[in-house]
Amino acid sequence: MIRYLSLYREFLIQRFKILMEYRVNFIIGSTSTIFVQAAGLLTIWVVMRQIPSLNGWSFDEVLMIYGLVTLAKSINHMFADNLWTIGWYYVRSGGFDRFLVRPIDPLFHLLADRFCHDGIGNFLVGAALVVKSSVSLGLVWTPLKVLYLVSAVLSGGAIFMALNLITATSAFWLMESIPVTQVIFNTHEFAKYPLSIYHKGISLILTWLIPYGFASFYPASYLLGRDVGAMAWLGPVVAAMLLAISYRVWLVGLRHYSGTGS
Amino acid sequence: MMRRLRRTLAIYGSVASMTPKTFLAYSIWVWVEFFLQIMAMIIFVYFWRAVYAGGGALNGLSLRQTLNYILLAQIILPLAQTRAVFRFGFIIREGQLIIELLRPLDFQAAEYADSIARLGLYLLLKLPLVVIAWLFFGLQLPANPAVWGAFAVALVLGHAVLFFFDWAYACLAFYTTETWGLSVVREGVAAFFSGALVPLAFMPGWLQGVANALPFAQGLYVPISILSGIAPLSDVPRLWLVQIIWLVSMLAASRLIFRVAVRTVTVQGG
Amino acid sequence: MAAIEVENLSKVFRISKKDPGLGGAVKALFGPRYEDKAAVNGISFAVNAGEMVGYIGVNGAGKSTTIKMLTGILLPTSGQARVLGRDPHRQRVANAREVGVVFGQRSQLWWDLALIESLDLVGKIYEVEPARYRQLLHQFSEMLELGELLRVPIRNMSLGQKMRAELAATLIHEPKVVYLDEPTIGLDLIVKERIREFIKQQNRERQTTVILTTHDLGDIEELCRRVIIIDAGKLIYDGPISTIKERFGKYREITFETGGRSGAVDLPPGAEPVGADSAARKLTLRFDRTVTTASRVAASVMDQIEVLDFSLAEPDLSSIIKQIYSGALREQIAEEMPA
Ligand SMILES: Nc1ncnc2c1ncn2[C@@H]1O[C@H](COP(=O)(O)OP(=O)(O)O)[C@@H](O)[C@H]1O
Ligand SMILES: [Mg+2]
Repeated sequence: MIRYLSLYREFLIQRFKILMEYRVNFIIGSTSTIFVQAAGLLTIWVVMRQIPSLNGWSFDEVLMIYGLVTLAKSINHMFADNLWTIGWYYVRSGGFDRFLVRPIDPLFHLLADRFCHDGIGNFLVGAALVVKSSVSLGLVWTPLKVLYLVSAVLSGGAIFMALNLITATSAFWLMESIPVTQVIFNTHEFAKYPLSIYHKGISLILTWLIPYGFASFYPASYLLGRDVGAMAWLGPVVAAMLLAISYRVWLVGLRHYSGTGS
Repeated sequence: MMRRLRRTLAIYGSVASMTPKTFLAYSIWVWVEFFLQIMAMIIFVYFWRAVYAGGGALNGLSLRQTLNYILLAQIILPLAQTRAVFRFGFIIREGQLIIELLRPLDFQAAEYADSIARLGLYLLLKLPLVVIAWLFFGLQLPANPAVWGAFAVALVLGHAVLFFFDWAYACLAFYTTETWGLSVVREGVAAFFSGALVPLAFMPGWLQGVANALPFAQGLYVPISILSGIAPLSDVPRLWLVQIIWLVSMLAASRLIFRVAVRTVTVQGG
Repeated sequence: MAAIEVENLSKVFRISKKDPGLGGAVKALFGPRYEDKAAVNGISFAVNAGEMVGYIGVNGAGKSTTIKMLTGILLPTSGQARVLGRDPHRQRVANAREVGVVFGQRSQLWWDLALIESLDLVGKIYEVEPARYRQLLHQFSEMLELGELLRVPIRNMSLGQKMRAELAATLIHEPKVVYLDEPTIGLDLIVKERIREFIKQQNRERQTTVILTTHDLGDIEELCRRVIIIDAGKLIYDGPISTIKERFGKYREITFETGGRSGAVDLPPGAEPVGADSAARKLTLRFDRTVTTASRVAASVMDQIEVLDFSLAEPDLSSIIKQIYSGALREQIAEEMPA
């Protein structure tokens, strides 16, 4: 474990050297997602300044939901973006073999191989939203709540990663996993708004099947003092279970790869 | 003279006819986009229903009108996305620029032929989406053929405005070599100011001012507000005129900027 | 002690067959049809520690597939491989620590990183002790002339530079076993020479076991005393190079420099023309040593045309291998190979 952490640090240092070499690209890349988030946020603002609430949620409360899911997404974006490229960049070209001839875990190697700076913008936006929301609403941050926030963001990030890992594994069969990943990944768009605005079926799916609700709606509800019962505390459990499942799926994919090659 | 024109058209026609073939080769992407768009529609339908939960009209638009507008806007939104940035990035990375420029046809015209073919093909491919929106989300389409005609003209004009704008914008790729970030910025700005997420009427005055100063609304808001009935037919000639002014200035700007960018790159020996 | 032991090793790929066109795609969706392809078919051999073995065969013979099984990337369909006493797939990580592999057409280095940074990272991944790392880096830099290249990103390197970099990265953890899959492909002679020297030296100093795949027989002749030849997944020869030369150098070539036009020549039995170049006034014949002799062929030709000079070519490995590849000697090898 310690070995992997220090290895990750090495990978990270090297990665930043590359990024600094292309400084303009670094700045454009890491700030570009801010524009996309701004588009979504401006929409909410433009609409909500004309209505008292969205299904009982004020503008600032919606920002908390939006901010949490954006933070969770940014964790995945920064640390696990290579799951998107596994198909065309590694499996199809045979480059994946290189992970298998090294004495470290191939999944670790894959993830460590490219820290993605493009997620930084999302992180900044998410953090800003949480701050803005809690300042406007006058939330009191007790140590417990801070801890809760950190764990919610990490769990949310883990949920994003686990779902992407499951879908990325399809690359071992299809050579290209982006289509599958894209479809599942995009369902997180639902989680930018209170789940209560949707049909019951949709919110059930986003809770139990593709549990992005635990990356946004449920922890936001808790932080805002809304009662969602046990759902407020299930996030880390769901995330851990999903991670375990996704790792099993990944192992099946690896086994398939060692049977068929690229 | 006529013969020359016919020959020229035939050349660009054959360029355009290649488009559907390459497009269908990526049929999985067509499906993915299809799913994503349905998903986006579902989200918007619930979002706007919740917005209108108090009843009545907002900014003079009823729930019905807003949904109608938003559904149509979501269907054609991918059209407002840029391809030029990736195209230029690819051409530069692969060192193909010279090859493209040496072909015996105007590079921009050939790309435009490709783009207009995409537009046609795209509309065809999106028909099922329209049917789904009509069946499940209550999309209403105008019965008056004049509205359809006005929409079609506005769409082609608006598409051209965006095409030439993107041409100029994509020239940035000549300098940065970064394409992903450029396209993300472009898409974020366009998504909002084209009116794909929210009708311009909802925006406060200053935002509407910004939207009107940018070309994106010409490609999406204008045609869709005609089709969804937000803009009355009597307003159409004025809208067209504005589009044409945009078109001419974007065309001129794109050619100028491209020339400057190519000179810079080729001087550097790219 | 054997460093590598391979017993009855096979790898069968299941390839899905599709008819062309949309109809084929639909059919494949409902009733996929498969075809089994044995890329490696029942191969057995053992390589001793410190040995350098040439592993050759035409494209598609199954060389890379064998190497992938020996590195643990691929799981054998049947049979087994042991590397340093381990199952390379099941004990993949332990195996990876002690072996190194170069896949000639792919880089294991980071495209955008300067070579030195790539090497540092590889050193960390393999946990090379820092002092040892510095020592090896110094040594490799000299042997492979990497000095100025250390600061250059891989993306800016020429093919030859890339391969030198690749070798350094592959050997920096002092693997006991090294697989080189076409390491000299597309390189010029000088680089080839340097790479061969380097491999030879590594083998000498550390008793590194080397399996070398190449199409360049110069590599083999210079580095390996033993070759294994495979064809269509089957092992068709395993033995010293010298034996191939002696036993299978059945054909020899004799070249005549003719005085006038060479015209038509009645060939002695057992000889056949390889090339006639009347402008250069040269006639080259190939004859079967078991049927006739050089002097008989020479005499027969000299009887018919004016010959200024003639030369006899030593059987060289490449022409023998060419014959083996083309299948001409397959039966003979099958007969003569000890079962
Ligand atoms: N992953 C794979 N799936 C299916 N067939 C493969 C795969 N890898 C190799 N093959 C086939 O197996 C045969 C042997 O390939 P390979 O070991 O790469 O040959 P070599 O390295 O000797 O040129 C070839 O016919 C090749 O097409
Ligand atoms: Mg090979």
